[in-house]
Amino acid sequence: MTEQLQPSETVATGAKLTVEEDAAGVAAGRRLMNLFLATGLALVFVLMLVGLLMRLSQAEWLPLDPAWFYSLMTLHGAGMIAALVLCGMGGVWYLVRREAHMDVRLGYAAYGLLLGGVLLVLAATVVGKFAAGWTTLYPLPFVNPTWPFWSTGAFFIGLMLITAGFSVWSFQVLEAVMRAFGGLRGALGFDLVFNAKAFKASGRQPPPAQILPAAVIAIDGLIMATASMLLGAAMLVRWLDPSVGIDPLWAKNLGYFFGHLLANYIIYMLLAFVYVGLPRFTNRKWKTNAPFVIGWWGTMVFLLTAYAHHLYLDFAQPVAMQVLGHVASYLSAIPVAVVTVYGAILLVWRSGMRWTLGSLFMYVGLAGWILGGVGALLDATVQFNTLLHNTLWVPGHFHSYLLGGSLYFALGWVFQSLEERTTATTSRSVKWLVGVTVFGGTALFVAAFYVAGAAGVPRRFALAQDPSASLAGVGSVGAVVLIAGLVLCLVEGLRLWRSGRTAPVRAAVAPLLAGVTNVGEVQGD
Amino acid sequence: MDLQGRVLLTLFVVSAAVVAIFVLIAVRSRGPALSQEAVQGPGYAVRRWWFFLLVAVLTLAFGASLPFYPYSRAQAEGDTVEFTVIAQQFSFSNLPQEVPLNTPVVFNVTSSDVTHGFAIYDPADRLVGQVQAMPEYDNQLRVTFTERGRYTVRCLEYCGLAHHLMEGGFEVR
Repeated sequence: MTEQLQPSETVATGAKLTVEEDAAGVAAGRRLMNLFLATGLALVFVLMLVGLLMRLSQAEWLPLDPAWFYSLMTLHGAGMIAALVLCGMGGVWYLVRREAHMDVRLGYAAYGLLLGGVLLVLAATVVGKFAAGWTTLYPLPFVNPTWPFWSTGAFFIGLMLITAGFSVWSFQVLEAVMRAFGGLRGALGFDLVFNAKAFKASGRQPPPAQILPAAVIAIDGLIMATASMLLGAAMLVRWLDPSVGIDPLWAKNLGYFFGHLLANYIIYMLLAFVYVGLPRFTNRKWKTNAPFVIGWWGTMVFLLTAYAHHLYLDFAQPVAMQVLGHVASYLSAIPVAVVTVYGAILLVWRSGMRWTLGSLFMYVGLAGWILGGVGALLDATVQFNTLLHNTLWVPGHFHSYLLGGSLYFALGWVFQSLEERTTATTSRSVKWLVGVTVFGGTALFVAAFYVAGAAGVPRRFALAQDPSASLAGVGSVGAVVLIAGLVLCLVEGLRLWRSGRTAPVRAAVAPLLAGVTNVGEVQGD
Repeated sequence: MDLQGRVLLTLFVVSAAVVAIFVLIAVRSRGPALSQEAVQGPGYAVRRWWFFLLVAVLTLAFGASLPFYPYSRAQAEGDTVEFTVIAQQFSFSNLPQEVPLNTPVVFNVTSSDVTHGFAIYDPADRLVGQVQAMPEYDNQLRVTFTERGRYTVRCLEYCGLAHHLMEGGFEVR
């Protein structure tokens, strides 16, 4: 059960801190999270406009030169992943900081590395017109490039900086949760499963729910970063010395290992917001019990192994790897459906939940995650993959869970934070309007991808032919409606923020704002 | 309805069911609140069945898909006709002019520069099969064509600025 511990008990430090010192540290952590979130969400919004440009071009409403289309495509892919990773990293950093002392300077260092990486990617694609796609399959960046030499290096160094920032974050988060919860054994809740009776008798409490994604992503993150840096170094050597050869299949495996994991980390990191946020709306607790921790152990393994489904059509790959990718992809659905989403449903069911923009985004985000997951499972079935691979089905499923899932989790957290700082509420009509525009726009945008994918329309095509162009038009309309809805969210968010700055803060949430308390202590309205 | 159509229909049906469940739960959240303990007991019992149901569905789906794995079938056998195709920016070399009807055909696909895709579309522009075309590796795609007509081959792996123009074709007779 996610019993909330007192900060003085949980904050494990090298040097003992007073409660006041720790409160200041948590408040600093909150400011760091806000910086991560603000940067990430601003990038998401700008890159959404870039994505809209691409769909408008495919609809033949605003044709782009292919050189521009493909460099913007490269920017959109790498940038969106980095932007959402920023949101997740900031959120988890703060939620872990509430439980254990962490040096905020390291958090800023991770942020700086990521931002530096994003700026290099931006320079490589927008200025240098680097256009090898964000997954950059070797040897494409080096064969007949139409972009300058420097932009290839800038792109890879940019991705390596992003990985370096993620590594710093992973080391710090892992060290903090291990220190605070009794090593890996405690942070991953082993005793809850293997020594359940003794654990209960000892009176010890399991880690809060949000610590599991933090620990799992930090562990897997370090494995991913190792592989990614290895590939990055190989690419840089090849960039500097054209006589060096790299095995294309080896590079492809590492490239998809990196890309698949980073994209999935986004979902699981931002899930921590839901573990903390949803209980506040339902006045119930998210429990850390044996099925919950077992589910996260499974996720830790399946995340690392499911990437192989990206190489189903490489028949030169050992068949055992194809089977592994298939099985791991299917198994990864179980913790999602049985533990997290089902757990959320139990939390909401007949709870008298408060329906605000914050809770709406989190709740609908869970549905978006499931719908994207169903699309992914179908694509992860080898028989279907031969017909769906590299069609628009693929952006269909990952937009479902990144846009309609992960981004909603982040927006839900932002609105929850704003709502807790003010007595002002969002009107029913605004909530409906946001629902229709944001959720409706997303559904239309994503459905156009799925239908086109089933019709065999290739992804990553600068020009379109029927039915692709007309479906791209439908998708563009959905994207415009969605963006209009997000602008409405921005206006409403600013209204709540301004109201929170002037209105008296509710007594019930005052301790939270000071950053010295945990979720369970401020439940209820 | 072709296989892709059935897959799309499956997605939409499951999506509709998921949305309906989420709407139902949201509606029921608005009534009189129950304590967490009151919900938890029956909820955990249902979860056990949900777990077994999901495992059963996934196991069945995995088992049912195994016979359709293309890997062992990709090997050339007795009566097959083989073609070697080389992809390069931005065309396919050695594509046959004609391919026999109702005969197993194996395409040995490779690339002389970057990674490409080798995707075959039937005369109605439906995708019937694909494989990756990789430098330094051969990938085999086995297809038996049961309809006459002009088939189009497209690259489905992004390979450079003219990627969308990379296509070829052959006649099935």
